[in-house]
Amino acid sequence: MPGMASLDWDTIAILVALGAFPVSLALTRFFMYWNSAHGIVGIDVHKLARPKIPEMCGAAVPVTLVVFAVIYCLMTGANWIPFTAYSLVVGLTAVVGAVDDRLKLRGIFKPLLTLFCGLPLLILGLEFPGQVYDPTLRVPLFGGYHLHIIYPLTILIVISVTSNTVNMLDPLNGSMSGGISIVSGGLLIGLLLTGGNSSSIFLYASLLFSLLGFFYYNRFPSRAFSGNVGQLSIGASLGALAILGKTEIASVVAMFPNIQNSFFFLSRIRRFTEHRELKARPTRLLDDERLASSEDPAAPLTLVRTLVAGKPAKEEEIVSDIWGLFLASTTLAVITLFLTGVML
Amino acid sequence: MNKRVVAYQLGIFVTQWALMILGFGILTRIVAPLRLVALNLPFGSYFDASVKALVALALSAIWLFVWDRQVRFYFYRRPT
Repeated sequence: MPGMASLDWDTIAILVALGAFPVSLALTRFFMYWNSAHGIVGIDVHKLARPKIPEMCGAAVPVTLVVFAVIYCLMTGANWIPFTAYSLVVGLTAVVGAVDDRLKLRGIFKPLLTLFCGLPLLILGLEFPGQVYDPTLRVPLFGGYHLHIIYPLTILIVISVTSNTVNMLDPLNGSMSGGISIVSGGLLIGLLLTGGNSSSIFLYASLLFSLLGFFYYNRFPSRAFSGNVGQLSIGASLGALAILGKTEIASVVAMFPNIQNSFFFLSRIRRFTEHRELKARPTRLLDDERLASSEDPAAPLTLVRTLVAGKPAKEEEIVSDIWGLFLASTTLAVITLFLTGVML
Repeated sequence: MNKRVVAYQLGIFVTQWALMILGFGILTRIVAPLRLVALNLPFGSYFDASVKALVALALSAIWLFVWDRQVRFYFYRRPT
């Protein structure tokens, strides 16, 4: 655009992405109204009053992400191939999430179906080499290595893992939207400081601002729940951005709280299952509305259960702890990004 | 904020972060340059990549095992 000639591309990317905040905010508000009116509600089980909260409002985030990816391409004339791959990954995982929200699929289907959601990245990457992914993994302090066979195959696993691990760490009001906002914000700052490309900066910024729009209604006490549609697509967005933005290792570090939660859940339960199907719940609600660790030895050792071990806490305090952990892991991720350019 | 548990978790994260970078260092400097299977064999490059992927998988399993022990050490010392 001629009028934007005096601004650098990173500034333009962030300015365009800022628009994602009001759009996501308005869309969340719309989904709250529409879903409530159509009986799409969930029960907030961590409140004594067990209020009914509109579900699937997280759909606002993938819709905003896809719309803004198109707007950015049209405004700046950016290469449409990575944006198409990104939009398809986010859109497909949102569809899987929406289907799961409505049909209540068995636990095994989500990881299986989300495996296929990475196909647009893989196919477009193979069709247009160098435009979607770069199979050279850059390692902090040690250089890097070329993974021309393994890297494409891991793309499918990455999308499935990131989408499902984000899906698993949304037990409390605002824990996922706030936590992933911290991750995307931190990685955005890291990319800005280390000279990431403008397209990746735009996509991280649009993820951050669209999440903040949803977070406004999702924070404690929640007036909107994300649903699988939001959780899976937000996780897939992080996974796709790790590949497109070459922030693979930093993204793993930033998602340490998610990794810990999923690993301990799966290592105890030993199968893919839904929280609603668990016989032994990880936490219990006390009469004063504090959460305490379950006394059932068969209960999974989730991150929340670890945080309340020996000391029951109020929901908002636990959410603050989770954000503190995301802040710590994201700080390590930003250091990782800096170290990626350093050789021992 | 439950400072005690957050501080302990932070310690775990820093340990796992350091181990992870060390693991990637081993893969980059030691495992990746190895020629485990002759590349001129049929599917030689695929076998070579598979063996290296298995080494990476084994390192990941060790990494998760260390993580598991640290969390369990904290959790099972405390009453639920």
